[in-house]
Amino acid sequence: MVEKRDITRLIFSISSLADLGQEVTSTKSFNERMKTALYVITGMFSVPKAALLLYNSNQQRLELLTHKGFKDTTWSNIHVTAKHIKSFSKNEPYNLSKVKTNSFYNPNTEALEKFHTKTFIPLFAKDEFVGAICLGKRLSRPSYLRSEKNVLKVVANQIAITLHNSSLFRRLTNKVNENKKLYENMRHIYNDTIKAFAAAIDAKDVYTKNHSFRVAKYAVAIAMELGWKEKDVEAIYVAGLLHDIGKITIDRGVINKGEDLSVAELNEIKRHPQISYDILSKINFPWKDLVHFVKHHHERIDGRGYPDSLQGEELSDGVKILAIADAFDAMTTDRPYRKKLSLTEALHEVKKCLGTQFDSRISNVFFRVLQKEIKGETKEAQILPHLDKGFDPKVITTLLETITAELSA
Amino acid sequence: MDNFSILSKTINGIVIFMPKGYVNDLGAENLEHACEEFLSKEMKKVVINFSEIQYINSIGASIFTGIVQKIAEHDGMLCFTNMKKVHSDVFEMLGITRHVKVFKEEKDAVNFLKESD
Repeated sequence: MVEKRDITRLIFSISSLADLGQEVTSTKSFNERMKTALYVITGMFSVPKAALLLYNSNQQRLELLTHKGFKDTTWSNIHVTAKHIKSFSKNEPYNLSKVKTNSFYNPNTEALEKFHTKTFIPLFAKDEFVGAICLGKRLSRPSYLRSEKNVLKVVANQIAITLHNSSLFRRLTNKVNENKKLYENMRHIYNDTIKAFAAAIDAKDVYTKNHSFRVAKYAVAIAMELGWKEKDVEAIYVAGLLHDIGKITIDRGVINKGEDLSVAELNEIKRHPQISYDILSKINFPWKDLVHFVKHHHERIDGRGYPDSLQGEELSDGVKILAIADAFDAMTTDRPYRKKLSLTEALHEVKKCLGTQFDSRISNVFFRVLQKEIKGETKEAQILPHLDKGFDPKVITTLLETITAELSA
Repeated sequence: MDNFSILSKTINGIVIFMPKGYVNDLGAENLEHACEEFLSKEMKKVVINFSEIQYINSIGASIFTGIVQKIAEHDGMLCFTNMKKVHSDVFEMLGITRHVKVFKEEKDAVNFLKESD
């Protein structure tokens, strides 16, 4: 005959298992979930002191994860060897008083007693040892009924799975972080390699030291003002750094000759965008437009550029950006055939070439960025630091305002 | 936690707690902490009036188990009063009531503790 107390126990056990299921799957932090799970067990079996331990397989020891009823938590670790693990029955409660002579208990007596351990439950998820529960003395009877042991086993199984899942998640997170770091390192190496290439390109021409670097910076400033996505901004940056890579194959004497180039020499120089394209198209860049930006950076809005004489809307924004960034830097630096222009002269020159060499909309954005940089309205100036400091900001600001007003009209 | 609160008062050195609501999460540990605080002031006679408690689950049972243990460690005395049958059945099954005196009314517990000097 079933006694009333057995029914109460059964209902309480079922309800507690439901509590446990709810707690271990809740959105609380892992530590809070585990603490609550331990409270469910200690409540189910009226155990005032208990601890939940996590297995550290590297150190071969159990480490305190959470506890109930202890003031002093300066715990000794419990050492668990592979031999011990092999001897444990999975998720079965051990009455420690009955195993006091075994090889696991003896070396760990002090730590187990600190935990007031009367019952030790090794936790296994599948075949992996993941932790243990130490239960102290009960307020009710000291031993566990067979039915209580069965419930304990179910509870232990559920906690073991939660520990295992959490450990898998932690390992996965660590792996993701590790891969992120690797990826970042690769990116640094990649960026440094591209910069090295840019330096090699610029070294070929005595007049264009750091030209590629400045073009990249100017292009980024315009692209950001246009609201480009980070990935696309990166593409225009790399395009800026590598746009003249084709010059590597052109004779240094021709590049540095300056005036009096023969038609053949001029044609040779004009080949560099196509050669840049041929070189870079062999590389599998994450930005598909980059090679096109590079190939067409000498095209003009009026179709009189090279290599393909594209015009108007045949030119992408990236090409238009690179074209003005490249030409503006050429204007504001010394060349073998002329001295650099002042900033005022360069701006007038850009203005003069609107609609023929340069796109008006993109040029307007360029003027706007320059205005913002002069007024200190940008987080980090990209253009200004590379220009001669001898200009009058008021004069330039007025000039830029006039040009942008005309363009907006 | 919003569903749980504690009222406390002292009568002649006897601490009376009246927890209210659901004792079903770690928020109810405040009751255990409040007990500890009185115990640290050598106030070791404690009454817990269950009349306003709606629900106790295994987490709540764990908290009461902790209170029983702490009062025992301080050689104190603990009385439960105004318990619903469902709660007293569970506490009896868990062996908690072996360690406490159970009274029907709070005043009975207070009188008992007064006389126990």
